Amino acid sequence: MTPEDLYYTEEHEWVRLDDDVAVVGITDYAQDALGDIVYIDLPAVGDTVEAGAVVGELESTKSVSDIYAPVSGEVIARNDALEGGPEVVNSDPYGEGWLVKIRASDDDPRAGLLEAEAYAALTRA
Amino acid sequence: MEPLHSPLHDRHLALGAKLAEFGGWSMPLEYAGGGVLAEHKAVREAVGLFDVSHLGKALVRGTGALGFLNACLTNDLQRIGPGRAQYTLCCDDDGGTVDDLIAYVRSDFEVFLIPNAANTAAVVAKLQAAAPDGVEVTNLHRQYAVLAVQGPLSDEVLQALGLPTDHDYMSFVDATIGGQEVTVCRTGYTGERGYELVVTSEGAEAVWDAVMAAGEPHGIRACGLGARDTLRTEMGYPLHGHELSATISPVMARAGWAVGWDKASFWGKDALTRQRAEKTVRTLRGLKAEGRGIPRPGMVVRDGDAEVGEVTSGTFSPTLRTGIALALLDPGTPDGATLTVDVRGRQESFTVVKPPFVDPSTKEA
Repeated sequence: MTPEDLYYTEEHEWVRLDDDVAVVGITDYAQDALGDIVYIDLPAVGDTVEAGAVVGELESTKSVSDIYAPVSGEVIARNDALEGGPEVVNSDPYGEGWLVKIRASDDDPRAGLLEAEAYAALTRA
Repeated sequence: MEPLHSPLHDRHLALGAKLAEFGGWSMPLEYAGGGVLAEHKAVREAVGLFDVSHLGKALVRGTGALGFLNACLTNDLQRIGPGRAQYTLCCDDDGGTVDDLIAYVRSDFEVFLIPNAANTAAVVAKLQAAAPDGVEVTNLHRQYAVLAVQGPLSDEVLQALGLPTDHDYMSFVDATIGGQEVTVCRTGYTGERGYELVVTSEGAEAVWDAVMAAGEPHGIRACGLGARDTLRTEMGYPLHGHELSATISPVMARAGWAVGWDKASFWGKDALTRQRAEKTVRTLRGLKAEGRGIPRPGMVVRDGDAEVGEVTSGTFSPTLRTGIALALLDPGTPDGATLTVDVRGRQESFTVVKPPFVDPSTKEA
């Protein structure tokens, strides 16, 4: 399950670009590998983040995984509903389970991101 | 070395299990459509079926078998009679723990052992080396499967199969199911009422299928070892390799209740007796999160700036919806104290508690 209209990272995150705003989440592959997610630590609104830097963490019953910023910019929103109900990341990773919105500072935030086909190939390997 | 497969491996693949290696065996971690939280909940509220065939099986048989074992293992087999099972430990002379295991007494002549997967060969070798003439110790690891039916509705499932359910906690009864001989043990590792069924490897699939079919009206779920771990951690049950090891003795793990201190001898008696009297070793305690931190094995526990212990097992408790840990703490740390656990650089507050974290219902009539 790899939606065509999104961009991806090798860290198994997805990015939905709407002008200069990037909505970020983790992929179906990632949520399945993590198992039941029970705790999510997100960056604060207003934080400036650098592409590739660790900005938070996702913890499942069995392991912990870092959240990376897929693009550089400023965090303009975070999904606070996840604090009380992190399981939505498992049940709806591309929808209600989004993590943060970042206003991208780069001219072309797509640079360095993968297209759906390339990401799907990565997870098949 | 390629991991070994349980006799139920094909059943796990058919159920979309995620597999992981446990003690040299490829076993289900969780099942498709389930997951640790759903499987944990099924065991606490209804019934779950686990394949724990990776657990070791060994038979000690011959004239004086029980007396021989009683001079080796920590607990006192004279406390129980035929048809009863006992939690016990196998130690080295220095008090280190080779393994913890369950001994099922059939008679003075015959005792069946269920050690941990990774330690079975060591336990069997140690017993074989010490066994007197006439006592035979046989490793039956691959000959038997073990299926654990655990949860408040496990009686209903067994009764639907015509299996006995009126025996006490820590006792066992032989029965048959569809022509297969099954030993029905009222034992488990979840803290819930439940049973462990010991069956030949050849008969394992038939018994698995029968239990799943009989459990369907009761909401049975196939449960993986991920849920088994969260269930046992909520109970504070030790797991060898975490709370017990060559350097963590039964005294440190607070398993002194499973030591027959008055026995003339058992492996490690002198060292354990000394540890028990000196009270200088770290002992196993519970930690419950005050905030949202989830502790993990190896994390450092501090009282202010002073390091006072280490987490041996830690997870998110699905029942309490909070982080819990078992930790070895310096002697003198009082229950109720607030300590911090270093969770990847964040200092998270935890309260020292006495396990279990969740009340068990194993012994209810």
